[in-house]
Amino acid sequence: MLLFRSEQHVDRWCLLWGRPRGGTLTLHQGWRLAQEWYGDRLSPDWRPKTVEEAEAAFARIGLAGEFWRLAG
Amino acid sequence: MPEIYGGFDSKLRLYIYRHFLRKGRAPSVAEMAKGLGSRRRQAKAALQRLSQSHAFVLQENGELWRAAPFSAVPTAFPVQVGERSWYSNCIWDALGIPAMLHKDARIQASCGCCNFEMGLRVKDGQLLDHRGIIHFAVPARHWYKDIVFT
Repeated sequence: MLLFRSEQHVDRWCLLWGRPRGGTLTLHQGWRLAQEWYGDRLSPDWRPKTVEEAEAAFARIGLAGEFWRLAG
Repeated sequence: MPEIYGGFDSKLRLYIYRHFLRKGRAPSVAEMAKGLGSRRRQAKAALQRLSQSHAFVLQENGELWRAAPFSAVPTAFPVQVGERSWYSNCIWDALGIPAMLHKDARIQASCGCCNFEMGLRVKDGQLLDHRGIIHFAVPARHWYKDIVFT
């Protein structure tokens, strides 16, 4: 997961690496994702999210659709 | 829930994070064993089990490579919190360090395409900079097939 200056720089990187364009987030979404994912990581009771919990976390920050699906 | 998230494995998981926080680097397997009063073989086996979650990734020599969001090796994503700094694995993990610590931070990020400097700051639980976008090259269900590329 990389940070880019703009959409054009994402496209340039994809061209350079011969990769199809993937999924993009705003930095605000990225920060919310980091809080969802890591906010409780130092808790002694932490455990990995289930597929359902992870997909629900994605949905809460507006990441929906096939690209963000974990099951299957 | 897998059994690995209890008992010795849970103690080891927290020991690793606390070691990163105290010393700014990953513990070696020998340090893990000594710190937990166990045999090296027991620590190695627990590390193998923890790595099944993908939050932990091991190097070929069995030492720790990644304990997300921390990287045990230098990367292009250094994160500074107060006087301390750590390497993270990607932009998600770079944001993950202040999110995990609930602390203000400076992230020395740059554009993945052209290396243009894009420093980020987190203060009082808010990300202050919003210019730029994050790109995931790999669909979510394939993230762990090649975590390094992801």
